[in-house]
Amino acid sequence: MSFLAPLFLLGGLAIALPVVFHLVRRSSREKQIFSSLMFLKPTPPRMTRRNRLEHILLLLLRCLAVCILAFAFARPFLQKPMAARPTNTAGAQVVILVDTSASMKRDGVWAEALEKAEAAFKKATPADRVAVLTFDDQVRSLLSFEQWAAMNASERTAIAAQRLSEAKPTWHATHLGNALVAAAETITDAEKREPHTGPRRIVLITDLQEGSRLDGLQGHEWPRGLEVVVEPVKAKRPTNASLQWVMDADESAQTTSDAPVRIRVSNSTDSKREQFQVRWAGVTGDSLDAYVPPGQSRIVPAPKLATNAAAERITLSGDEEDFDNTAYVVQLKADEVNVLYLGNDAETDSAQSLYYLKRAFQDTRRQAVRLITDEAARRTPFSTTNPPPRLGGYKLAIVTSTLSEGRSDEVRQFLTNGGTALLVMNDPQMANTLGILIGTPNVGVTEASVANYAMFGQMDFTHPLLAPFSDPRFGDFTKIRFWKHRKLASEKLPDARVVASYDDNDPAILEVPAGRGRVFVLTFSWRPADGQFALSSKFVPLLYSLLDQASGASAPLAQFRVGDPVDLSAFATKLSGSTLSVHKPDGAQVQLAANETRFTQTDQPGIYEISTAPIPVKFAVNLDASESKTAPLPADELERLGVPMKSGELTPALAAAKQETLHNAELEARQKLWRWLIVAALAVLLVETWLAGWITRRSAARAEATA
Amino acid sequence: MSALAATQSFAKPNAPAPASKLISPQALMAIKNLELRARIVVEGFWHGIHRSPYHGFSVEFTEYRQYSPGDDPRYLDWRLFARSDRYYIKKFEDETNLRCYLLVDHSRSMDYGSLGWTKSQYANTLAATLAYFLHQQGDAVGLLTFDEQIRDYLPARNRIGHLRRLMLQLEQATAGTATDLVAPLQRIVEIVRKRSLMVLISDFLAPIEALERNLTTLTASGHEVMLFQVLDPAELTFNFDRAVMFRDVESGRDLFIDPATARREYLSRLNDHNEAVRATCQRLGAGYRSFDTNRALELAMFDFLRERHQRSKSTNRFARSRK
Repeated sequence: MSFLAPLFLLGGLAIALPVVFHLVRRSSREKQIFSSLMFLKPTPPRMTRRNRLEHILLLLLRCLAVCILAFAFARPFLQKPMAARPTNTAGAQVVILVDTSASMKRDGVWAEALEKAEAAFKKATPADRVAVLTFDDQVRSLLSFEQWAAMNASERTAIAAQRLSEAKPTWHATHLGNALVAAAETITDAEKREPHTGPRRIVLITDLQEGSRLDGLQGHEWPRGLEVVVEPVKAKRPTNASLQWVMDADESAQTTSDAPVRIRVSNSTDSKREQFQVRWAGVTGDSLDAYVPPGQSRIVPAPKLATNAAAERITLSGDEEDFDNTAYVVQLKADEVNVLYLGNDAETDSAQSLYYLKRAFQDTRRQAVRLITDEAARRTPFSTTNPPPRLGGYKLAIVTSTLSEGRSDEVRQFLTNGGTALLVMNDPQMANTLGILIGTPNVGVTEASVANYAMFGQMDFTHPLLAPFSDPRFGDFTKIRFWKHRKLASEKLPDARVVASYDDNDPAILEVPAGRGRVFVLTFSWRPADGQFALSSKFVPLLYSLLDQASGASAPLAQFRVGDPVDLSAFATKLSGSTLSVHKPDGAQVQLAANETRFTQTDQPGIYEISTAPIPVKFAVNLDASESKTAPLPADELERLGVPMKSGELTPALAAAKQETLHNAELEARQKLWRWLIVAALAVLLVETWLAGWITRRSAARAEATA
Repeated sequence: MSALAATQSFAKPNAPAPASKLISPQALMAIKNLELRARIVVEGFWHGIHRSPYHGFSVEFTEYRQYSPGDDPRYLDWRLFARSDRYYIKKFEDETNLRCYLLVDHSRSMDYGSLGWTKSQYANTLAATLAYFLHQQGDAVGLLTFDEQIRDYLPARNRIGHLRRLMLQLEQATAGTATDLVAPLQRIVEIVRKRSLMVLISDFLAPIEALERNLTTLTASGHEVMLFQVLDPAELTFNFDRAVMFRDVESGRDLFIDPATARREYLSRLNDHNEAVRATCQRLGAGYRSFDTNRALELAMFDFLRERHQRSKSTNRFARSRK
């Protein structure tokens, strides 16, 4: 007979309680009335003498109940010899997963990782199968199971260590979650090819930094019997601050020239310092002090550069790790967009269209719009080398008056070449101009009869022009009222697409294709005499949306993270026939294939240059900000995400003891002797209750008889 | 022979009546009527000393004083004037008579009794007996019952019907919760200005210090004081055999007491207390008698008279030495 919880047997000492209670003279419930207790002192309960133990049988029953209970709590079971453990002769499948992200560049970290990896190689028995994977934001296989198996057993460690030492930490971010999943899949894939019964293990060698991405682990179904052993490597010095370039929004009112470059200085949570210096590298100038407490970040303006000084790197000093102390910055230049205005309006007349147009097009960080009136265009000398097409330098032509024949042909030519024009119907006579531009004579346009006022009715928010308004927050056009507008018979323009119409179903905005280009027709004008459109909040966004349609503008190249693909399609269209080539910061030149517009080799931070563009275009590639969060993850974070962690190696003696404990627990759970003991205790208590009741009744009867 | 002389003869060692002739308290207490009980005791007592009680022993020498203008002419002794041709004033008869106040403890501790009757019943019977006896002699008897405060008060008188009222008040149930001798004694000092005999009947199961202070006040006011302590035999012997919870009848406090261990100390402390009461009485010149409730009441009467006699002797001695 053995016990699972022998300490509970000490509960058997509680049999002293019933014995003591039996020895204590019963302090009866009787009360003796007495005249005064002033001469009396309370008597402590007194034991009766041993030979006066009353109700021996009752006492024995009570002691027995206590003993049985203590016995039951000790969980007794009948010992049976443990079956011999099946000896597992099959070796283990081990994936050694080594972190090569940018944070491993810290001082001493990579060397320690190599040491740990080598130790893991050495620990592998000849029967084990080992694969070596490295990971940053993607997983690379250095050594597969098959390669390991093919090698001579005595050379395996050396070769694996050699391969690993050839790998170096990259500049990429840490996607730890994906890497763990990939390692688990490597094992399951290998088992599919070749069934295997031994234990399965992933040895993870990483700095377990806070910035590791673990989202790949959410809800992942781990194969049974897999264990993850984490071999953390630790940086010698914890203080690490980093630097990121913060870009302003495109719509920011500040233009490039007057806005300072803003940078974010972050400090890791386990940092020991708080004071850092920021300065431009490569130019003389003052440095800027930044105070950032551990675990926080501050956005500070970079020090002012001297005029005409060109600098592309901002560096941070004051922390202990250098790998993330440089931010690369490119000075953005706004696109120059020329818009030709063809109309007879005076710039200063607030009753006319141009007055409003001039004020609507303001310079932004992204675009500098130049509105050129017809007169000014005529004055502009065109060189002989760059004359045709006259309107080729313009993105958009805005027509607000009837054009002369020659002018109309020019605009038509512009449209045929793929230009975009906006025709504003100031009066019905402009129907002729429209007819010439789109090549459809007899476009019937009349002045509409508006009883009180007209409003927009149907709006086609699926059209790219109105796409910016498709959000319900911005799509309310009901506040715009028109006193006058023109009526255009849209059935005469079968190719036209009605973008917006009035509440009486007359078209208000139409898109009419013309050659390779297109004409947007407004059957109203934004002159105050026609309606409230120029003063509404929709006027300026609509003009910019039109400008976007006209120029086909896309987001400018500025900043990317290491590993991000860069879309160069905007440049590809300009370079018909030739291929794109990109200069990397280390001097290498990458030639893209003929149809390829994505540049994917952003594998190091620095300034990249697209050299084949007419004007060289630069963009900055910076380190992923999460890579600078170098404080270690909480130890239980992986476990919380369901990763099957192995706490540590057990010694054989401990393992045997654990095995025996498990065996005993299993035996006990199967036999469940405690249940019978509890039943026995209950039975004894029942007998005890009955006996006590019987004794009480008997003594009561006796007392009555004597009374 | 006055009753006092009778007690003198009774006090001799060969004189006491045999115990069998005494009325047992058990038989006496079976009688419901208090007055009847008192009469039985008193008449049995007279029967024991074979003397008529109707001469009265408080009739003391009456003093004459020469008349001076302003005295009440009603009190002129005309017979003496006839004999001596002098005006003499006769001193008031009631001044010479005994005024006795019975101070009876009606606190709840007196409600205890282990013999079938309580200390209170015994004390009432004793008081009634004394009252009846004194009334028969023509002495004025007053009554004051108390617990922690004064319950009833009857001034000392000797009128028809007074005894009956006194008996009725004695028969009233005990009500108080505590024994407080301070308040009744102070009160009686305030009320009774004339020199009187104060008979205090209680168990005196109360702190001794306050008792001493108030008895001093009483004796200093010229009153003659007698203390009759009434205790139950169970209180005197503490002959309980089982360890049980004891409940204080006055305070309701419960204590677990094993009589086997507590008896010795209890008796010693009770004796100390009683001794302290006795010593206090002795020091103040007050009489003190202690009874248990199983004692025949006639003996209590004899105790009373003997005490009176001894005191009158000492008073006479004191008076002679003053002369």
